[in-house]
Amino acid sequence: MTKIDHKKALADRLSARFGRRAVLKGLGAGIVTAATGSVPSLARAQQSGHIKIASIKVIDTLDPHFTGFLSSIQIINNIHNGLLKIAYDGENVTFEPDLAETWDLEDDKTHVFKLRDGVKFHDGTPCDAEAVKFSLLRVKEGKPKSPHAWKLALLDRIEVVNPLTVRLIFSQPYAFLPVALNGSTGRAGTIVSPAAVQKYGTDYGRNPVGTGPFKFVSWKENDSIELEANPDYFEPGLPKLERATFVLMNEASTALAALMSGQIDGMTDCPMQLVNQIEAFPNATLYGEIEGNYTFVGMNCKRSPFDDINLRRAVAWALDRDTIVKQAYFGRAQLAYTPISPPMTDFFDPNIATSGRGQWYDLDKAKAFRAKAANQGEIEAVYMMAERGPVGTRIAQTVAPMLAKIGIKAKLELVEPATWVKRRNGSDFDFYDFEWVADLDPDETLYPEFKSDGAWNFGGWVNTDFDDLCAQAQVELDPAARRALYYKAEDLLMDEAGIAVMAHMPIYKVFSNKVKGFKYIPADLVNLHSVSLD
Amino acid sequence: MLLQALGKIAQTLVVLFFVSVASFGLLKLAPGDPIQIMLGSEYSQESYDSLKTELGLDQPFLVQYADWAVRFVQGDWGTSYVARAEIFTYAFKEALPVTLTLASFSLAFAILIGVPLGVLSAVKKDTIFDAGSAVLALTGTAFPSFLLGILLIWFFAVKLQLFPVMGYVSPWENFWLGIYHMILPGLTLSTYFIAMITRLTRATLIEVMEQPYITAARARGEPSWRVVWVHGVRNIAMPLVTILGLQLGVLLQGTVLTETVFNLPGIGQMLTSAVLGREYLVVQAGVMMTAALFIGVNLLVDLSYPFLDPRLRARK
Repeated sequence: MTKIDHKKALADRLSARFGRRAVLKGLGAGIVTAATGSVPSLARAQQSGHIKIASIKVIDTLDPHFTGFLSSIQIINNIHNGLLKIAYDGENVTFEPDLAETWDLEDDKTHVFKLRDGVKFHDGTPCDAEAVKFSLLRVKEGKPKSPHAWKLALLDRIEVVNPLTVRLIFSQPYAFLPVALNGSTGRAGTIVSPAAVQKYGTDYGRNPVGTGPFKFVSWKENDSIELEANPDYFEPGLPKLERATFVLMNEASTALAALMSGQIDGMTDCPMQLVNQIEAFPNATLYGEIEGNYTFVGMNCKRSPFDDINLRRAVAWALDRDTIVKQAYFGRAQLAYTPISPPMTDFFDPNIATSGRGQWYDLDKAKAFRAKAANQGEIEAVYMMAERGPVGTRIAQTVAPMLAKIGIKAKLELVEPATWVKRRNGSDFDFYDFEWVADLDPDETLYPEFKSDGAWNFGGWVNTDFDDLCAQAQVELDPAARRALYYKAEDLLMDEAGIAVMAHMPIYKVFSNKVKGFKYIPADLVNLHSVSLD
Repeated sequence: MLLQALGKIAQTLVVLFFVSVASFGLLKLAPGDPIQIMLGSEYSQESYDSLKTELGLDQPFLVQYADWAVRFVQGDWGTSYVARAEIFTYAFKEALPVTLTLASFSLAFAILIGVPLGVLSAVKKDTIFDAGSAVLALTGTAFPSFLLGILLIWFFAVKLQLFPVMGYVSPWENFWLGIYHMILPGLTLSTYFIAMITRLTRATLIEVMEQPYITAARARGEPSWRVVWVHGVRNIAMPLVTILGLQLGVLLQGTVLTETVFNLPGIGQMLTSAVLGREYLVVQAGVMMTAALFIGVNLLVDLSYPFLDPRLRARK
């Protein structure tokens, strides 16, 4: 399939200020020729092989519109398709048509998707414009309310032009759309079978019916999720496997042992502390790069002592990121200067280390800010930590002595993960550390996390200029102009030390060498479409 | 006898009632809530509220409890909040058999290895063999089972590739494959009990062997294997069964770690993930099953005494 960067194509076209019809014709023609044929039944694939992959994290639901976990998306993505999909050529992340054959803009607020002909859900019902409308409305205004509804908040109305054409009209230009449809944990643009949703209701997540290369077979709690090949899949020649089992596991070291003994063929996630062992093991291959994420030490800006900007700045400059990467991340992460991460190729500055932007370790500067802080005595602050996330409590333990150097005594409080979530969401902490992962766009990276009344702004940092910059960037379609806006927004966040940013992490998967054809995508996906077993 | 049994069953029901109230209450008191966990990081207050209502978690405690209890006794155990699993199927039909299989295997190992070892130690009291078995028993009690499990996996499953690393195959569906999968976890879970039974058998048998009826049996000229295995071992059955019944709790506790290490989808794993995810209804089902199992086994132990000891049989 030809790679086309739709976002760039759209942006270029739009910024050239073509008339409405010109955009339609020019852009439409380009994309139509790039799209692949859609005659599935001609080249029906011969499927063989049964892959078994350990899934170590929690699977909440297989309903794409309700899941909160990437581990679920890894499986959901093999059962469902979206209007668009995420592709990766080893350098750039792009968005390609998936169920859509073409994607045009009639004007900067109107997106038209023409669907592939003849695609059917696993239950035999057609995947047409009505199904697309149904799925998008389910996310936007369904009951119960999807946690990802905000991604389609700007969607004004949906028109079914004909059975294979659907027109989305937004209330303002929406640069974030391709990411909203594909991004993070919420696959807002994933199309589900309306018949199945009507049949199963809230239990759809246990009986998912999509158009994807694999059909859902069974889900046994704490045991396994079984998928089988969909022989009528629309991409010719795919899938190659006959069966796929996601073995649900709690213990990563057992999964590693099972991989080494050949009982399983891969792991959807490889915790950093096991990476050395995998590298030393000759019969498996590790897949992983720095992904769209950033980790940080968060401070509670809503209450004393960290309502003091100088104290926050002192913390931000006191963290020795090199040591943190070595000690807490097993030397495998990359220093972060700002939240925008390397895979966002249009926005990440490869020379950020020398650009003078962002935060880094400078103890003198930290001490200078500490000297300006209102409270000059020793400050005791609660650092809430839990055995959660990629490296558990290692960050807290590494950071505490660094804080001691600027006269902050971190009281490490180990709480159980559910309590941790409750306290974080209720802003009941002084310090905590966290990571926002699988971001594809700066909007996801910055706006919901740090806008003044943002649902995820647990630290409660408030800056209305920041809000304005992000809101402008959301409707700005020119990448260069958008980049400039996000840099300004980031600079505000970093300067006022709403957080102390630490690192960008690699996210690993591992497969035995018998597994061929796995296409790595830096968005924590485990797509088995093209995978085969020797 | 029948009346006695009915009395015990009534007692059991009262105990189960208190257990259910206590665990329901304790779980609600624990901080954290299932909706925050299920929604992950990305949600709005609106979707939070809507889910809370949907799941009935906005109701007062007593309403929630009563609602649960009425359904529970009717066999409607509800569905898990997040994964929408049918709890009766998950807990009773899927998880319980796994744990029962694991527990039975461990008990079988414990008895088959522990009793002969204990008998031999008693018979060969104060020899090298006795000292050796004492050291083994002490090691067995002191060794953490999860560590033993990991060591067994590395040695027997990864290095020698003799056994599978993990997983459960139902012995009802495939007997030999089921047993094959149970050997390492069964052994891991049973070490503590092998050690305990060895020591217990040794101590009680030594005492039994000093009883007049043993002397009498020897005086009758019975061969010594018969004296030990028939007259002696028969008389240690009661203390053994009693202790096993009481230690069932420890065994069930042990299943949590063993099931995690060997990835067996039993009650232990179910309870762990349910507690971490604040799946109140799943925890409740797990607690009720474990409590019923514990009480049930001890009831059986009580009822078994007359069979083990003819002196306790009611005279007509």
